[in-house]
Amino acid sequence: MEKLKDAFDFRDFSRAEQVGFTIFSIFLLLFPWLGAGSFVKVVMIQFLLFSLFGMGWNTIGGYGGQVDLGKAQCVGIGAYTVALTMVWWKIPFWVSMPMGILLAVGYSFMIGYPLFRLKGHYFAIATIATSLVLQDIFANWKLVGAAKGIELPIHDHPDFLYMQFKSDTYYYYFIMVLFYVAIFYMNWFRRSKLGYQLRMIKDDEDAAESLGIDIRWCKIKAYSISAFVAVGGGFMAVYNLYIDPVSVMDLDLSIKIALMAMLGGAGSLWGPIIGAAFLVPLDRFLGSWLGGQKGLIGLDFMIYAMLIMVVSAYQPRGIWGIIEQFRRKGS
Amino acid sequence: MAFLEISNIVKDFGGLVANNNVSFQIEQGEIIGLIGPNGAGKTTLFNCIVGYYKPDSGKVIFKEKDITGLRPFDTNRAGIGRTFQVMKVTTGMSVIENVMVGAFCRTDDRHTAQSEASEVLNFLGLESVKEYHLNELPIAMQRKVGLARALATKPELLMLDEVASGLNRTETDELVLLLRRLNAEKGVTLILIEHIMEMVMSVSHRVIVLDYGEKIEEGLPGEIVKNEDVIKAYLGEKYAKSH
Ligand SMILES: Nc1ncnc2c1ncn2[C@@H]1O[C@H](COP(=O)(O)OP(=O)(O)OP(=O)(O)O)[C@@H](O)[C@H]1O
Ligand SMILES: [Mg+2]
Repeated sequence: MEKLKDAFDFRDFSRAEQVGFTIFSIFLLLFPWLGAGSFVKVVMIQFLLFSLFGMGWNTIGGYGGQVDLGKAQCVGIGAYTVALTMVWWKIPFWVSMPMGILLAVGYSFMIGYPLFRLKGHYFAIATIATSLVLQDIFANWKLVGAAKGIELPIHDHPDFLYMQFKSDTYYYYFIMVLFYVAIFYMNWFRRSKLGYQLRMIKDDEDAAESLGIDIRWCKIKAYSISAFVAVGGGFMAVYNLYIDPVSVMDLDLSIKIALMAMLGGAGSLWGPIIGAAFLVPLDRFLGSWLGGQKGLIGLDFMIYAMLIMVVSAYQPRGIWGIIEQFRRKGS
Repeated sequence: MAFLEISNIVKDFGGLVANNNVSFQIEQGEIIGLIGPNGAGKTTLFNCIVGYYKPDSGKVIFKEKDITGLRPFDTNRAGIGRTFQVMKVTTGMSVIENVMVGAFCRTDDRHTAQSEASEVLNFLGLESVKEYHLNELPIAMQRKVGLARALATKPELLMLDEVASGLNRTETDELVLLLRRLNAEKGVTLILIEHIMEMVMSVSHRVIVLDYGEKIEEGLPGEIVKNEDVIKAYLGEKYAKSH
């Protein structure tokens, strides 16, 4: 009960943030009725989806300060669980989605155990390694469609059980609801015991240990929680009706997730949302622009790599960090 | 059985023996001063006790439990708090949040942690800086925050590594008063590493002296200040001979 109250309690934010968040929420609610074209709608859905991914990443990457470059593993597990159980056994989305999340949490817990023997860059590199291995397994595993991927059966009529709709508006509202669940969860998380302990670990591991914090265990917990991004993978499966190892498990996706959260502001509630608001449109633009020009493939990746370096070198706390700095000086 | 019993601790950093066969016992409620020249091995001894280093040999018994080689978070949960001589200057959390993390050691509830942290800050006279971040405070104040967050874990044994350094005369006197109150009112046993002789001698019930990794003396403050070996260790052979 107390926890629930904390999740909806935004009183410790400034007036400006509260007003901004309210206006933003009203905008999100009304967006489908503002007459935007289908392209813009797709971008908005992507924006909400990536905000959700970024918030998941934020538990371990932002609050815990452990740069995780393999979040797509969980997205993939969520997507494949939903797609495969639907194709094989006609299991409805509402059953397979929680299953996907549980599997992703279990998987993260398992690999978190050895992963968190490593620190700093070694950890980051190891997350890349495990995600490459997982992707390779799926790309070669005939039973799950190998590199060809899986097509979901298309229903004739809109079907709420299987989350199949003709209009994007339904998908939009569905991902919006997930987005808000994530916001409320993160709003609770940031003030939870684990949230505080993670921030201490990020600041100063020696001090954290002297205050009774089992560092490795806390990291494993946060890493497992961040696996909730699997819900976004499940969403991708029913929204695109097609998944393959590249679309839901690629390193490219992991890097975008990490980059958005870092650019917006790792370790803050708004950071991942701000980051997604910048990078999702940029990504779309680069994608459609570069898609047509042979020889420029990979340029978007270079731009992201540069951005990661610039952010981590000059402003590790991202755009939100800059805003907070100004506010601290002002007060 | 003593409250804390250190026996034959050896810590060798590849040829440099920072702690050489150090043994002593402490009773509950004591205030112990741990002194010795720079590089004597005082901080290393702290790290061996709380588990940042695993001693090469020797034993640490705390409240009749063998805690040798336990991780620092375990020794903290067992009731030992410590501060750091060199604190990492961090920007991520405010003073009160730092202290709340300490309080979270004994509670899961945020509101409890918050009120306990406020209490500790009041006790140490830090309430006016509670919204500052560590990097915005002078070093002496940072160490005091280190003391506050260690205290918030409700230790029975508190080990302080040069908390008084950098404080001026009045601030040092205030700290001595606080430490005495901590000891008398809350029953916290204290071990403090200090270089300021007047302070250690006035606050400690007993003093232990390290030199080149070895315990060279142990006794009442009055005896220690007059001890030949101690004077020699601090001021060098020449001084001792010429006197
Ligand atoms: N991690 C380490 N690796 C190698 N040598 C170390 C390490 N830590 C300490 N030493 C060495 O061990 C010796 C004891 O160091 P220690 O820090 O314990 O001394 P100290 O008594 O706390 O000195 P000070 O009063 O200057 O703080 C020193 O010679 C130091 O250089
Ligand atoms: Mg020292």
